[in-house]
Amino acid sequence: MFRAKRKAGDFHAEIEAHLRLETERLRGEGLSDEDARAAARRTFGNLLRAEERFYEARRWLWWDHLWQDVRFGLRMLTKSAGFTSVAVLALALGIGANTAMFSVIEAVLLRPLSYSNADQLVSVVSVWQRGGVTTPYSCSPPDFFDWRDQNRSFSSMFAFHTSERALTGRGDAKRVRAVVTTADIFPTLQAHVIVGREFRAEENRKGANQVVILGYSFWQAEFGGMPDAVGQTVELDSEPYKIIGVMPRDFRFPLRDSDAYLPIGFDDKVMTQRGAHYLRVLGRLKPGVSAAQANQDLTAIMAELRRRYPDKDGKWGVHAERWSRLLVSDIRPALLVLLGAVGLVALVACANVSNLLLARGTVRQREIAMRRALGAGRLRIVEQILTESLMLAISAGTASLLLAHWALQAIVYFGPKDIPRLANVGLNTTVLVFTLGVSVASALLFALIPALRSSKTEVGSLLKMSGSSTREAGRARNVLLVGEVALSMMLLAGAGLLIRSFVGLRSLSPGFAPEGLLTLDVSVPEAHYRTSLALEGYWDQALRKLGGLPGVASVDAMTPLPLSGDDFSSSFSVEGRSVPEKDQPSAELRWATPNYFRTLGIPLRKGRPFTDADRLGAARVLLISETAARMFFPAGDAIGQKVNFGARGGYEKNEGEIVGVVGDVRHFGLDAPIAPTFYVPLEQAGMDGATLVIREQASPALGRAARKLVQEIDRDALVGQPVMFETLLAESLGERRFYMMLLGAFAALALVLAAVGLYGVISYSVAQRTRDIGIRMAMGAARWQVLSMVMKNGLGLVLLGLATGLGMALTLNRTIEGLLVGVSPTDAPTLLVAAGVLLLVAMLACYVPAWRASRMDPLVALRFE
Amino acid sequence: MSTQDRERLELLQGTLDLLILRTLIFGPQHGQGIARAIQQTSQEELLVEHGALYPALGRLEERGWISAKWGTSTNNRKARFYSLTAAGRKQLGRETTKWKRLTAAIGRILEAGEG
Repeated sequence: MFRAKRKAGDFHAEIEAHLRLETERLRGEGLSDEDARAAARRTFGNLLRAEERFYEARRWLWWDHLWQDVRFGLRMLTKSAGFTSVAVLALALGIGANTAMFSVIEAVLLRPLSYSNADQLVSVVSVWQRGGVTTPYSCSPPDFFDWRDQNRSFSSMFAFHTSERALTGRGDAKRVRAVVTTADIFPTLQAHVIVGREFRAEENRKGANQVVILGYSFWQAEFGGMPDAVGQTVELDSEPYKIIGVMPRDFRFPLRDSDAYLPIGFDDKVMTQRGAHYLRVLGRLKPGVSAAQANQDLTAIMAELRRRYPDKDGKWGVHAERWSRLLVSDIRPALLVLLGAVGLVALVACANVSNLLLARGTVRQREIAMRRALGAGRLRIVEQILTESLMLAISAGTASLLLAHWALQAIVYFGPKDIPRLANVGLNTTVLVFTLGVSVASALLFALIPALRSSKTEVGSLLKMSGSSTREAGRARNVLLVGEVALSMMLLAGAGLLIRSFVGLRSLSPGFAPEGLLTLDVSVPEAHYRTSLALEGYWDQALRKLGGLPGVASVDAMTPLPLSGDDFSSSFSVEGRSVPEKDQPSAELRWATPNYFRTLGIPLRKGRPFTDADRLGAARVLLISETAARMFFPAGDAIGQKVNFGARGGYEKNEGEIVGVVGDVRHFGLDAPIAPTFYVPLEQAGMDGATLVIREQASPALGRAARKLVQEIDRDALVGQPVMFETLLAESLGERRFYMMLLGAFAALALVLAAVGLYGVISYSVAQRTRDIGIRMAMGAARWQVLSMVMKNGLGLVLLGLATGLGMALTLNRTIEGLLVGVSPTDAPTLLVAAGVLLLVAMLACYVPAWRASRMDPLVALRFE
Repeated sequence: MSTQDRERLELLQGTLDLLILRTLIFGPQHGQGIARAIQQTSQEELLVEHGALYPALGRLEERGWISAKWGTSTNNRKARFYSLTAAGRKQLGRETTKWKRLTAAIGRILEAGEG
């Protein structure tokens, strides 16, 4: 119902009219003028109260009150600027940390992928099942075609892999980030070219695939955004591709800007390569079909494939999951733990401000009692306090946005590159709504106890200030303080465990010495080097030329490089062991030049290393890692065995006799398990790409010079940017460092807030007990006795909080178990150190006010009112 | 002085609304008139505190059961006249039924106790 509000003046006029009518009636009954008026007033009752009740019955009363409260609150908050700034700062820190953390969650976990109807996009992976362990893997082309043609859940499906190509024929080769894909990619993603045409089905076949669709920024950079680029030819890896289209500016796939989209070009052999798992598969669900239904559908198809191809598909399953979920499946738990942790920081901040409000509530008791005496109801007092609190929280929320903005800049800058979409974080509407929600919620939280307490203030307490209510407030403050300490203790324990875990990982050896090693990725165009001999010639030349550079101690080539994120694994057969193909063991495969092991400091355990004689045409040899030797040749008879991986990666077969055992290398990072590995001499394999590893002798410009030198050998070879090996090592722990830094920051924040809270409460209690302390000192108490009395008071609370926090940490730390390596969530030394840090800071926070109390002049103290 | 000397019954909680609606069934009336009418019709048994009347009127108006406008009284005084709306008439019916059932029930209990 919406009607015009009645004005208070109108109501007043009505009552005036009533009184006139009643007076006249009474006069009619024979009363005197004066008596009639008095009687009319009497029967009416309390005139003022009636008007007040009318007024209060109006709906907009709350608005009036709000305005009153806001104005009054503003006066109060500006009057006690010290209180206000401390409270706003504490809250802003708490809320800002939450805003920043939520922004990360929003960008990485919550924001829909930037494809139309992205929730229909499902990622399909092969799953390797062995001994109860299932590992997600890429898919093989024949499996993909069978899924695509037999399923009833997907409207379309495509397979792709990402790859690097060299843009050639235009000066020095440039790196092109390419997506090599089947033709269905754009219909499935519901994204379409802005110029030209899309792929045709026949372009899936080898021979018909010399076409390319350009990414928008690549088109801008290389063709100035000219539409007539379509129809032109561009050279990739020294082979011509016809440009047929350009994608829109905001199209990103897979999740990042790619330069070129190439049709995959399957040849006739492809349907026989059921064991070649190298494709990623995405599908779009038909409307109304769930990912779970698709999963069932595909699982049934896969069961049939396992029956039909027991050799190749015998150990493989399939798994379909929403792409948006799968992308973050390993990051989600960590981020949620961090969100929980940052929530605890907000709680500490709230407890802190609550405490400040309580302390101030005692100071304001007179004011509140006065307002009660003047007729303010309890609810009215609560309203007033809530309004003030909301004003505090909203100011803090606003200030927190600035803090969050800075925090996000730091997060993007320091954050690891392998968290998808982390770079997209920002303070958008969703985040702002969250911040507002957190601000309001924290206002309600921190105002609750003070509001309830203040509303209990009785009129009588105007006279007696030091009643039981003060003691009660003191108790509430102590409880809050214990809570603050306990929460800080939990966060410190969590951060301590992450730090210990990280330090433990850092002290692990990667299996080689990365110090002073420079790496340089090189790949040469296949078109220039059609034989293994030609490739051998190229690598020889590169190594020789670089070796002549001043400052270079040694140069080697190897692929795939440890910690680079690339790897290569394959199944193999051992001569003399007949094993069905599906049961063949699988191991990591690496290619390296002879001196690589000495350059990296990988020790030779047994047998002989590669030598310069292990070249193309010589007897084929292999090295094997310790773990592989133990795993595949437990009898210790690895040396002399003949192993065959088949043709993989290069032109030549990777087979030969094991001649030596070398130390293990943590290829996948310090926190990943060691994988069994075989090494093949690079020269015997015919590889068209490798990483040059240069041991340098303190020469800062060496990287650039080396790159230039390699480019001069073949202008069409793609030469990457020089990277120090130590950088790769640091980056491999980037995600862990990120989590550790965030949780550490949260814990530090909580610690500071708790210390400030402790300091405030102790100072306040000292101020209240000034007279008491003065009397004690006048009676002869020594300064140290006063000091220890105050300290005891504070440390009692701290110890209680510490014990509570430790108890909670022991139960709750299991949530971070997944983030720990080599440390138990109940690791006693870590918990003790965390408790020690907390105790130390707490003692300092207590010591300052205690020391001040002990310095008091008893005469001044006694006169203190 | 008769209006003041006799001891009168105070209104039960919630009954004032019902009485106001009932009074207005005879046509528009201003606040003082409503108070007088209740007192007179009850043969001076019921006490209407005039101060409580106006918030009640405001409440009923808010709910849309009565409407009000300024007019002139019989003795040519300006006053705010209240009249029953259609919704108010329905509400009166409901409340009357409820009240009758309530008094009948209470009456039965009281009489049973006496018998």
